[in-house]
Amino acid sequence: MHDVRLSGEDILKRQLELADANRRRLAEKAVRGISVLGAIGSGKTMLIERMIDRLSAQGLTIGTIAADSAGDDDHRRFVARGARSVNLNTQDDCHLDAHRVEHALDDLPLDDLDVLFVENVGNLICPADFPLGVDREMVVISVTEGDDMVRKHPKIFAQTDVMVVNKLDLADAVGVDPQRIVADFEQINPHGKVVLSDARHERGIDDLLLALGFECTSTPS
Amino acid sequence: MHEYSVVSELVSALLPKLEPHPGHVVDVMLVKGELRILSDEALRNAYELLIEGTRLEGSKLVIEPVTVRVRCRSCGYVGPAEHVREEAFHFAVPILSCPACGAEVDIEAGRELYVDRVTMKTEAPADVP
Repeated sequence: MHDVRLSGEDILKRQLELADANRRRLAEKAVRGISVLGAIGSGKTMLIERMIDRLSAQGLTIGTIAADSAGDDDHRRFVARGARSVNLNTQDDCHLDAHRVEHALDDLPLDDLDVLFVENVGNLICPADFPLGVDREMVVISVTEGDDMVRKHPKIFAQTDVMVVNKLDLADAVGVDPQRIVADFEQINPHGKVVLSDARHERGIDDLLLALGFECTSTPS
Repeated sequence: MHEYSVVSELVSALLPKLEPHPGHVVDVMLVKGELRILSDEALRNAYELLIEGTRLEGSKLVIEPVTVRVRCRSCGYVGPAEHVREEAFHFAVPILSCPACGAEVDIEAGRELYVDRVTMKTEAPADVP
């Protein structure tokens, strides 16, 4: 028996290289990229809609990549808000990857954009292993999923920049204490930011923009 | 779910690298950082399926875990991260924060995903009388 030593090249090396290329491409065009991960039905799309409204009101031009396994519902919602959007169907894939984002960037007017939101497929496991090449990441859950979401998916929360707990208006109705979710998150990600939101009633959107590093915000007219 | 595509990348990258090496593949050691969200069981199942009909058929995927190590941006601590070991989490979860001073950290280890070595068996040459 003998061992053949290998170079230690990352198995997803090509994905990491493509993510770096995406990052450089966005930086060259001064486009700020935000990755939006989260559970199915947690309110990712509506949070992005609200942010589009506010950032557009500041005169910024917004791009979106709307990823879903099928359909173009989210894409159409973003277009209706004035975003320059690309619809991206992953079909049977449970996550976006840097290669797909690279092609989506080809179809976006990067020279005109200030901010790009990349909405991943609803999933709290698979997307975390595939860097896309954006500046910041947020993970969205809602109170309707229960107070145990951080405990059930700790690794994605341990590594993210911002956790958003959405649908705060429904917390009493479903008997969930959002502070329990926050306490779990703070235990495993002491430097991550927490935002409590109710996107439908426009609550928490300015907090979210601040957490993502936008310096000033404004309420849409 | 994404373990299948990860193992598919592994197998297609590994096969050409083994071409110069004669012999029978016994096991393949995959180094996996604990921050990767990949199930060992699903990786091994995908491996078994994807090596059928290739030179790797019959070999085992051995998974070597790597625990998280951090470098503090403030006090300079370099070493293992602390883990949340509360029963509610069931598994130890690494905390990406300095165990010494609580400041933000850079990750030194824990995101690895690579094949470190392949163990091969070659037929011993017949003794020359």
